[in-house]
This record gives sequence, structure tokens and C-alpha cells, in this order.
Amino acid sequence: MNFPLSLSDISLWFAVTAIILLITSELLLSLPEYSAQFMIDKKKLRLAALGCGLAFLFTVLIRI
Amino acid sequence: MSQNPAEKPKSEKPKRKIRRSVSSLIAVTFLVTGILALILAVYASSQILAFIGLGVTFWGALFLFITPVRYVESSLLTSTAASMYSTIDRIISDFKYAGKGYYVPPYPQEAYLPEHLKGLKDTIVFIAAQKNDTMPSIEETAQGKFLLTNPKGILIVPPGLGLLNQIKKKIPATKIKLNELCEVLPRIILEDFNIAKDLTMHTEADRVKLTIHGSLYKNLYNPKNKLKSIYILGCPLTSAIACTLAITTGKAVTIQKTIIYPGGSKIDTEYQIMQG
Repeated sequence: MNFPLSLSDISLWFAVTAIILLITSELLLSLPEYSAQFMIDKKKLRLAALGCGLAFLFTVLIRI
Repeated sequence: MSQNPAEKPKSEKPKRKIRRSVSSLIAVTFLVTGILALILAVYASSQILAFIGLGVTFWGALFLFITPVRYVESSLLTSTAASMYSTIDRIISDFKYAGKGYYVPPYPQEAYLPEHLKGLKDTIVFIAAQKNDTMPSIEETAQGKFLLTNPKGILIVPPGLGLLNQIKKKIPATKIKLNELCEVLPRIILEDFNIAKDLTMHTEADRVKLTIHGSLYKNLYNPKNKLKSIYILGCPLTSAIACTLAITTGKAVTIQKTIIYPGGSKIDTEYQIMQG
């Protein structure tokens, strides 16, 4: 009973998630006239995006 | 016969009010599903199920994380501010004042002032009785009076003081130049406060022109409200900007002109920075 994902898989997952979140947060922050309609905490979203990006970089560092 | 609301019949079960937003429910559902998928993935050694579980758990946690603390209807902003403008309207019409509103620059909070001049640190607006009246003396302003006799007028707290205090937390208005303020302030108002769809500011000699698109306070300018003081003091947003301009320049600021476009979709305001 092992976890079926390897470090490479998790690294790829972090990369894809980070890209999606970073693009979303940047779009929301750069277009306030449209993003005002979305009732979400944009700063926390950006924080989560940066966290994912850093997590991806960390997995890359482990693999090197 | 009146009944005490505390005395409820025994048959009536106490109702629990559960107020959970839809987004929180979705988030919790995602989290539970994701965790279940992850457990199943470990048992079945399925890579696909693990990816699905990881993704769903993550998005569930993210939905919970980014849910705002609380939002209120934007119409509440105008309805709560309107009563204050009505009060000022009554005062102005009772005293038959026809002058402008002068946003008086306050002294910095950290500056040392003698006890009798401490009132100069308050952000205030002077509404003059006559159109050509000058600014009140420092002594009269410092006393913290409401009604002034020489020159005639009233000293009131600006409607945008609350918003100004929020702006002050983001930018030190005393430490930046007017041109920098015109660049920084619109970004803060749009990105941090979301109280307008678009806002631009630019300076022309001793005047500052402000254009607001889709302001949340546009209903205050509605002719149905019949508010006169809104054109003297501006809405809370334009008032807060006038206060910021007064603090930055260290000079009194007046609202010279306000143009309202149909439906309040666009509001043009012209501020004049008083010289001397």
C-alpha cells in the first residue's frame, strides 16, 4: 500500500496548478473593473499561487 | 394577550440557524471527495485516482482559503451615507449658507502642537456662509468649534474621513508628491477597495481633475435624493480624495465643479488647490 505518485508526478502537478493559479490571480489583480464581480480574496489567491510555485521549485531542488 | 418570546411551547423544537455560504459547502464537498479519492488511490494503487484526489482536495482547500470574510450589498453604502448628507443639507438651508466647502489640511499627528492648538490635527471641512468668504483663522479652527462667526460658516467632519483613514494605512499622504499621489491613489481605490470601476486623476496647475466610472456612491448624486451638500462636499469617495489632496499639498482644497453623466455612470470632479 504505497502512495501511487512519485516526486516527478507531484512536481508536474504543482507546476500545472501554479501556472493556472498565477495566471488567474494576475488577471484578477490587473483587471479590477471585471474582478470586482468575483467575491474572493484576491490577495489570498495570489499567496496560494506563489505557494504552489515555490512548492514546485522545492520539488525541482530535491530532484537535482 | 401578550406572550413572552422566551416562553416557547414544549412541542416546538428549537430551530438551529445554519448559515453556511454555498461556496463553503462546495469547498467542504470537494475536500471530503478528494480525501476519499486519495485513500482509495492508496488502496487501489491507482495513479489517476491519486491525481484526481490531489486536485480535488487542493481546490477544496483553496475555495475555503479564498472565501472572503464578509461582503455587504453596495447599495447599503449609499443608503447609510444619505442620512448624513440630509442632515448637512438641513443645517446649510437653515443658516442659508451658499459658500464653498474648504477641506482644511490637518497638521501631522506626530507634530508637536501646544494644547490650545491640538484641534489643528483634526481633518475638517469649512463650509462658508458666503461665496467670497475666506478661510477661518488658525485660532478659530483650533478651538474645535462647530459654528464660526468670523468668517461665518460651519466646521464639520468630512464625509470621506472613514475612507481617508483606510487610505492612510496604504499610503503616507504627507510624504509623497502630488504627481505621485495621482498615480498611486487610483490604484489603491480600485484594487484594494473596489469602490469604482475606473478612476483617473491628473493635475493642471492648481487644479486636479478626477474622473470616476461606475462609482458605488453614484446614487447619492441622483436628483431624486435632492441632496445639495453632495455638490459642496462630494460623495465619501471624492471627499476622501479631497482630504488626501489637502494633506499632500498642505493647502486647502475645494470642489470646484462636479459633472454627473446620465445614470451616474461617469462623475467628473474638479478640485482647486487654494493658494496662500
